[in-house]
Amino acid sequence: MTPNGAIALVIVVVLAAMMARISGLVALYLFTALFAVIEVGPHAAVALRRAVILMLPLAAFMILVWVGVVGRAPADIAASQPGSRMNALIYVSIVCARLFLIVAIVQIAAMRFATLTPLQFIQALRAPVALKRLGVLTLSLVETLLQAVDRAHTALIASGVITRRISARNLFHGWVLVQTVWLTAITSVTGRMRDKWPMEHTLQLLDPLLAETHAAPLATPDKLWIFSAAVIAVGIVWGDFHGVP
Amino acid sequence: MGSRELIAGPNFSGRSRTVHLRAQSFAAPTYFIGPYAEAALSGLSSTIADEIELYRAKDHTTGRSRFGTIPTDPRRKPQTLSGGEQVLLALHCFSLSGYRALAIDTALEQLDASNRREALHYLDASDSFNVVLTDNRACPPGWNCTHLTAADTKFACNWEGLRANVRQCRAPVVAISELSFGYRPEHDVFSNAAVTLEPGQAHRLFGPNGSGKTTFLKILVGALLPRFAQITLDGAPYEPWRSGNRALALATQNPDQQWCGATLGEDLSRRRAALASRGEADALADDRVMPLARDLGVPSLDQHLYELPLAARKRISWLWPFAGAYPWIMLDEPTIGQDDDTCRELARTLEALCSAGYGAVFVTHDDAFASAVPHRVLHVENKQIG
Repeated sequence: MTPNGAIALVIVVVLAAMMARISGLVALYLFTALFAVIEVGPHAAVALRRAVILMLPLAAFMILVWVGVVGRAPADIAASQPGSRMNALIYVSIVCARLFLIVAIVQIAAMRFATLTPLQFIQALRAPVALKRLGVLTLSLVETLLQAVDRAHTALIASGVITRRISARNLFHGWVLVQTVWLTAITSVTGRMRDKWPMEHTLQLLDPLLAETHAAPLATPDKLWIFSAAVIAVGIVWGDFHGVP
Repeated sequence: MGSRELIAGPNFSGRSRTVHLRAQSFAAPTYFIGPYAEAALSGLSSTIADEIELYRAKDHTTGRSRFGTIPTDPRRKPQTLSGGEQVLLALHCFSLSGYRALAIDTALEQLDASNRREALHYLDASDSFNVVLTDNRACPPGWNCTHLTAADTKFACNWEGLRANVRQCRAPVVAISELSFGYRPEHDVFSNAAVTLEPGQAHRLFGPNGSGKTTFLKILVGALLPRFAQITLDGAPYEPWRSGNRALALATQNPDQQWCGATLGEDLSRRRAALASRGEADALADDRVMPLARDLGVPSLDQHLYELPLAARKRISWLWPFAGAYPWIMLDEPTIGQDDDTCRELARTLEALCSAGYGAVFVTHDDAFASAVPHRVLHVENKQIG
């Protein structure tokens, strides 16, 4: 599979998941499971575990709000029906199933290219250089923010403003952490842009690196996977028009 | 034949500015290694392998010998390397690149003696590129040396005043045993390490780049959670990662990694608020810290910390440990970017603090500075301290 193929497949599955009802979701889950087993093998468990970790807090929050507080599904509210907590639970389950599928397919696709570094992945894409540069700069910003979080966390713990474990102090001073992270990130980026990049013309190094593409167009497995996902997506749209639940 | 130039001078004499001007005077772009990660690494890479790939010359015609090897996992994030390792990575990337000129702003001061010798030898031996270097500890023979003299007196320190303000203290004995820690499960930094830090004494953490010196300091302030450790203060259990830091004031290697606010006043007010929750805010009262800040060269609480020159930021980062809020003082590479006069005065101040009953731990690769402070050496090597 190629990086381009993986991105195209993820887009098709995500669009299909957003439109899918229960039967469509079942078909997409079966498809995703097959994709995971064939393309990623045993490492799929890691991708699924990450998806569960990312989704669990959101699912808990949605259950609390819709089932616990509101007690009705949005459709009940729109139709001015009294509704029930069961309807709310069904609604939350479908939304969470869609979101879990989206997170899972992204994680599985990322796991498929775990042997590549982020730069190698972007290099392997068949895309305009400007778009690839944007990809590298976005990743750079993400790394800078992660580093800023680590630095700010260390600074505030060392000064006694917050603690490493959960504490009331952290609750009161969480905003200081947010402010410190931004301050750190901004000074890191401006320091880099002021001192290093202009002297080295660092950004110009990206152009030959990203232009050097020997990336193949979509490979045969890509086409098969994308075609299969597209067929399911068409089926979901057809089912939607014909009232299939 | 490439040119070799050393820019020397006291603090605030314009060393960094001169390095930039010299770099601009080279006909082609210049590879730059600044004092800290923001200016040593490209910031465009998520892994060490990507950083190397970014700089690797595409035509392989430079004929330059390769500097060092990267002995660590190439998939590791470059920002997670220690300060010295980042400089080594930057030099390695330069040696693979097509750049014909190299500018280094005090970065070599972070290297241990062996790596520093190797780096200077590399710069000295190759004739395929130009080098401009500012470094407070190096004096490579045969290099053109530009001495800057006119120092800006705006940030002048009053060291006598600073030492006169030192209060008496009774620091506790810090005993660490069974310390085990690793950033990754299969790579321990410490394994069952043990050490006792005695008050009224300075301790030098000494070891090669990447051996865990800064990691040890971060564990002691509670920023890192050890896999297992027993720490006591005067025999009483102390778990800073649970209860918060209440004994050790850390001035970090990069001063920008310790600020809690944008201005000095904001930084101090937040530290004061944290101390107030334990009824200990007096140490950071304005009438106590303002004279200290003035003595360290920053006369106003409204001073934006990030707008100060690096040498001034580094100095004002010592305010927090010198204020006496905590009985233990920890300085991580305090002499980076500082001229000899400042290093000498800092050594005397550290000695005065220890005489007043504080405990001190410092990390440095600057032997001249270390020899000016009576201290006990703690070797950090092979996952042990002692």
